[in-house]
Amino acid sequence: MVTGLVAIAAFSAVPAQAQTITMVMSPPAVETNRYWNTPGDFALGPAMQGLVGHDPVSGSYDNSGLAESWTHNDNFTEWTFKLKPAAMFHFGWGAVTAADVIHSLALHTGPDTTLNGISQLEGAVAVALNDHTVKFTLPAPQVDFLFVHGGRGSLVIYSKAQFDADGLEGYDAMPAGSANLQYVERNVGQGLTFEKVTDHWSGEDAQFDRLELNFVSEPATTLAKLLAKEVDIVILPRELQGDALNAGFEAIPSTNASNQTTMLFNGAFLLPGYEGLDETLPWLDIRIREAINRSIDREAMIDVLYDGRAEILPVFGMDPRHEGYVPELADRFEAEYGYDLEKVAALLADAGYPDSFSNPVIPILSSTLAGNPEFPAMAELMQVFLDEAGFQTEIVEMDWASLGGLRTAREAKMFHPMRNLPVKPSAVGIRNYYSAAGAPRNNYEDEVIEGLMTKYMASIDPAERDELAGGIFTRVFEQYAVAPLASISAEVIVNPETVGAWVFPGATSVGVSHFGSIVPAQ
Amino acid sequence: MGFFVMSQKLKFMGHLPVLPIVVLMIVLIVPALFADLIAPHDPYKAYLRNRLEPPLFFGGTTEFILGTDRLGRDILSRIMHGARYALVISLVGIVLGAIVGTALGLIAGYMRGRIEALIMRIVDITFALPSILLALALASISGPSFQLVIFVVIFVIWGFFARQVRAETLILRERDFVARARVAGASDFRILHKYILPNLVNTIVVLATLQIGVVIVLEATLSFLGIGIPRPVPAWGLLVADGRQLIVSSWWISFFPGMAILLTVLSVNMLGDSLRDWLDPKLKQV
Amino acid sequence: MLQFILRRLSQMLISLLVITFIVFSLSHLTGSPINSLLPDDATPQQIASLTEHLGLDRPYYVQYLTFLQNAAVGDFGESTKWKGSTAAEVVLERLPATLKLGGLAVLISVVTAIPMGVMSAVWRGSIFDRMAGVIALLGQSLPAFWLGIVLMWIFAVTLGWFPTSGYGGLSYMILPAVAMAWFQVAALTRLTRSAMLEVLDSEFVKLARIKGVNERSVIWKHAFRNAAIVPVTYFGVLAGSLLTGSVVVETVFAWPGTGLLAIDAIRGRDFPVVQTVVLFFAVFYLLANFLVDVLYAVIDPRIRFS
Repeated sequence: MVTGLVAIAAFSAVPAQAQTITMVMSPPAVETNRYWNTPGDFALGPAMQGLVGHDPVSGSYDNSGLAESWTHNDNFTEWTFKLKPAAMFHFGWGAVTAADVIHSLALHTGPDTTLNGISQLEGAVAVALNDHTVKFTLPAPQVDFLFVHGGRGSLVIYSKAQFDADGLEGYDAMPAGSANLQYVERNVGQGLTFEKVTDHWSGEDAQFDRLELNFVSEPATTLAKLLAKEVDIVILPRELQGDALNAGFEAIPSTNASNQTTMLFNGAFLLPGYEGLDETLPWLDIRIREAINRSIDREAMIDVLYDGRAEILPVFGMDPRHEGYVPELADRFEAEYGYDLEKVAALLADAGYPDSFSNPVIPILSSTLAGNPEFPAMAELMQVFLDEAGFQTEIVEMDWASLGGLRTAREAKMFHPMRNLPVKPSAVGIRNYYSAAGAPRNNYEDEVIEGLMTKYMASIDPAERDELAGGIFTRVFEQYAVAPLASISAEVIVNPETVGAWVFPGATSVGVSHFGSIVPAQ
Repeated sequence: MGFFVMSQKLKFMGHLPVLPIVVLMIVLIVPALFADLIAPHDPYKAYLRNRLEPPLFFGGTTEFILGTDRLGRDILSRIMHGARYALVISLVGIVLGAIVGTALGLIAGYMRGRIEALIMRIVDITFALPSILLALALASISGPSFQLVIFVVIFVIWGFFARQVRAETLILRERDFVARARVAGASDFRILHKYILPNLVNTIVVLATLQIGVVIVLEATLSFLGIGIPRPVPAWGLLVADGRQLIVSSWWISFFPGMAILLTVLSVNMLGDSLRDWLDPKLKQV
Repeated sequence: MLQFILRRLSQMLISLLVITFIVFSLSHLTGSPINSLLPDDATPQQIASLTEHLGLDRPYYVQYLTFLQNAAVGDFGESTKWKGSTAAEVVLERLPATLKLGGLAVLISVVTAIPMGVMSAVWRGSIFDRMAGVIALLGQSLPAFWLGIVLMWIFAVTLGWFPTSGYGGLSYMILPAVAMAWFQVAALTRLTRSAMLEVLDSEFVKLARIKGVNERSVIWKHAFRNAAIVPVTYFGVLAGSLLTGSVVVETVFAWPGTGLLAIDAIRGRDFPVVQTVVLFFAVFYLLANFLVDVLYAVIDPRIRFS
């Protein structure tokens, strides 16, 4: 018996080897532990949580975040969240309570916030009904309120107790989160390290000890690190993934499409009475827009840009998981948008291109945007297609920030790439890309869409919303308002010797999430 | 190694070395002038079904001798058309840089005093400002452009000319023939123009030749950072930069343009060395 | 001598002042950082409040003067991209990495180029001379980024002798340092060679040989001593190219130094950091040149009075 006990003791006393998973990604736009000072492109994802989580397989909202349940009133202006009583902050900062949520909301909507999607939280007032219940009162109905808590991750919950004790410097040094991985350190310019929380309150401990994120901006360097087996997981641009796969590494895609790409006809502000309209833009003519769409061989494009691993996208912003999905548009796509150079020639002749146009040149923007390294290749490819179809084109190079300035001023009169990442709820997407309401995203606008939009924003009836959104998407489709390109899943490339599985839904701005559920290889 | 021996022999015969000139003609000058006629394909045409094809002898076909890039464009044709830009940038950049540098160097060396101090101060500042960062900053303002590349090139090299010209002017102005000219009543301008400048020509020519390599590599670096000559122009630096990501499996995309740069600069430098040895063996390098 | 030093010092300060103005103007001309900091759907209020927060709404000259005032006491502003740190902190944190790498690069170039240059001159026309010449030519013909990537692929990925990238000890530094040093080796070799050639031809050396001094001494103690002034003065230029070289190499090898920092800061429109980085390096370059000038003057008294 004693021998048995000793044997058991000896066995359990054998220390497990500290297992570290290293992952390479491109450097985030802003490196700080104050999440509200970033554009939201990379939450301290491994360590911090929002109220709402995503099911790793279906991507739909679930209670894997800090809220165990939620309700809303009939007109979607009041949302009440019940927090999980067992939820605890790291480093002993105590239980997660309503006070922490209110504190975090204040931080995230404060004067120096730079978060994407913060408009959804503006004007929201949060009140603690008790220690574990928070009620948000919104100035206008928001059917998609959960989006800002989940995938977009705009509201990340920080510890009020930590702030009261150590202020912002406390967050800078060692921010307490609540997920099953906790913050260890940040090496500015190099990366972040997290470690597993033992006996996590959720009952699901991470299956590895440490997670190291390395920031590398050069894809060639990233690939080199993977091939040299210095790292376990990488995010690589599509064109290099082939090399990695050929060398025996494996791709793990997100379980759902996480990104949509398109080219926008920026400047097509066709609302009557809009005075800033530049009437010389060739794509104001619907025949030109149709012709441009039909000049794009989308299958070749998917091969070139996405190594064949992407789907054709009928309407930018439309997704089966959200409101307004119209399956018929996918059926009609080949007939109305299919690659057909003869039709293009006919359309151009009909429109009188180039002679009837005072400015026939189509400026195509080439720019790099973090997380979308294929944009310059996209621009070149578009030029190839358009030139062959008979258009006059020029490539304009500009960094994304400068483009942002032009767009805000409604002066970005170019054919330029855009992404929808993560795929947003329809209302958010439409407001961003097709409507004059909300902050200007600058693309096609017209009065039909605007009319539908007004009703859509006011409606709280799901069936009606679905119909209105569908109407908007149909209009977009029929007016050739954009040149949609592809629907893509987020992919990571892993070393199968060290990483067994990772299931993530592709619902965040950086594509990956659910770090705590990375399964090391056995 | 044989060609070194041959070129040395030719030098002793009083002629310029033949080999670098031949290489230069093949790699740079003939393509620059006649690319439209002799390039096998349109450098902008994307053969999307023939993407990433290897060069001949590495699994490729005679259709695309040096292979194709990720959009299926013929590398050889792109290199040939890119030669034009290499030539133009080097010539324009160096000529302008030489003019600016020589003029200011002359003035500095001849006038002395405050003006000299000012000009040399500006030269110092030019060298102290990191050119790449300056280029990045300018590109953010005005967008990348051909003019921007030329400007950066001039910015980087004029100082070399200014310094060298000034140093030599300092010496030359003390020479007897200058003193005699002054006594004879010649104006400053005439002295500079007729007496000093002709003696500087050797130096300037040698320096210019040696800077060509610097300029071409500078353009390649700017392209690497995304602020070189804008797309889709197949400037050599851009071609090398484009292929860097695919260097493991599609090495030819970067390799051959890189070789074009290498051969051009090598030949130019060898030419410059011979020129220097021939014109003025005592010339100190800057 | 003191007068000389003071004169040079004051010239240095003027240069520095002009540089600060140019840098300041440029970084502000590149456009407001607002656009790169704020998300695409920022509201006008967000834009306005951030503009005010960053002080970008004040008149240009006020911003410049404020900047100078603060810089004089070492306050270079707060970083906008690395929130929570001051610009000076960010730069100082990354500076050692570049200095280490630069130091190793300089070491490599000196250790390689000087002997190569000297022996090329001594064995003029030999195979060694020609090989050295080829290496020198190659050095000036290869773009550093291409060389870096090729080195990485051959030595790190294929042969596995070194890690591919990142920060660490000596093994992490060798490949990037070689990529950085390559160009310098070329220039320095040629310089040293031509300087040595001149000195070896001089009366002074001929005299030493006649006197029976052994050849090694002639080369190193007599000729090289005199020739050394040329490569030494080149160090000023070397210092200047440190940042330029580091920008590209650090990007390829993910070496977290100031070069990479500068690119990130420019792309992210982080004015304070951009200004600080460029200033640090301008100071470094000017100081290096200043020291070289003084050294030169110490060695050659004629220079002091020029």
